[in-house]
Amino acid sequence: MTTNTDAKHLQLNPTSTRVLLIGAQLLALIAFLLALQFLWRTTGGTLFLFSMIAPVSALLAALAVLGLAVYRFLRRHSLFEVENVEVGQVIFRQGEEGDCAYFIQSGKVDVVREEGGAERVVATLSKGQYFGEMALISDVPRNATVRAVTAARLAVLGKENFLTMLRVMPRTEEDIMKTVNERAMQTSEK
Amino acid sequence: MRGWLGRAGSFLAASLVLMPLIAQAQDQASRYQQDPVEQAAARVVTVLAVLGIVVLIISIVKFKGAAVGPVSWGLLIAGAVALPLLMTGVGTILVFERAERVEFCASCHLTMKAFVDDMKNPQSNSLAALHYKNRYIPDNQCYACHTSYGLFGTVQAKREGLSDVYHYYTRTFHLPIKLMHPYPNNDCLKCHAGSAKWNDAHADYKDALFSGEATCMQCHADSNPAHNVAQNVTP
Repeated sequence: MTTNTDAKHLQLNPTSTRVLLIGAQLLALIAFLLALQFLWRTTGGTLFLFSMIAPVSALLAALAVLGLAVYRFLRRHSLFEVENVEVGQVIFRQGEEGDCAYFIQSGKVDVVREEGGAERVVATLSKGQYFGEMALISDVPRNATVRAVTAARLAVLGKENFLTMLRVMPRTEEDIMKTVNERAMQTSEK
Repeated sequence: MRGWLGRAGSFLAASLVLMPLIAQAQDQASRYQQDPVEQAAARVVTVLAVLGIVVLIISIVKFKGAAVGPVSWGLLIAGAVALPLLMTGVGTILVFERAERVEFCASCHLTMKAFVDDMKNPQSNSLAALHYKNRYIPDNQCYACHTSYGLFGTVQAKREGLSDVYHYYTRTFHLPIKLMHPYPNNDCLKCHAGSAKWNDAHADYKDALFSGEATCMQCHADSNPAHNVAQNVTP
């Protein structure tokens, strides 16, 4: 099953994820502080704030965290969703948690290593190739940033489905592990 | 990292143990007047709020908004989902309980303090003071007389109370303050009607009082006004 989605609308970058989660935690903190203020001194004002503002804060915090959890779950279980990316768009960044692998249907992407503030292109991938698999196999953060060189069309396979594919298709696992080893060697040589 | 987590854990454990003890100690003086539901709700909300703050601080300081791995997700779900929702749920009970207390009514100093002072004045001959000093109403004396009977009476009181809070904090009230509605006979009769003493004294007026043709205060206002208050405070 494939679905056509606009990557810009679906993808949450790490910065916006952090802002969302810190915002949610601050909202929850406000709810807790309003509760303590109400407990410490019960007046019309503290009762109003605790009975009106605290539930809204708590609800917004819960929705933000649960919404992100559902989003992450759907990403991990995505089954060849198609994402269209524009020139220069970052698909994922080095250091992020890996939740899916990408198969290039059209276009080109650069694999960029960030070291000491400088960027180094370690590979350019095009139609028929794939990326993002190393973080899924090794269960480590992304070891490089991937950016679209041209407009590209990517089929996205969630982590769970990717790992299942490796388990049930030994030949595919062999091919992918071979590629993983080659890329690891290329990266260390460069 | 283990040491940092250990210290946080110790603080958390101490909070969980000490908070109920502190609450217990504070309650000793007035334990006969305490509502057990209010006491239990206050303790639960205190523990949940302190626990939640500790969890959130650990989560923000240690993970800085990142959600990677079971520990960070566990802290997020506990600190920003489970504990706040549970706390606001139990807190709602506490809000309803505490909104009935005399101290809560008196917290609007500019408008209500004079009424509460009169009620607590043993020298006053007002109906409120008579009821208070004789403990005709054991607790929540303002609420008992100013909330109509039944579920809808409570809902109406809360709704109009919110309006009062708004007018108080926006300083849009006018002195002297007045009741929103004429004081209903039912709010006297819900306690007095049916007692032998009341039946004997009101045999000739019963029907008029029950039908609303006569009001209680038509006879009682001169000898025992509801409150002896001269409101000369300006907002």
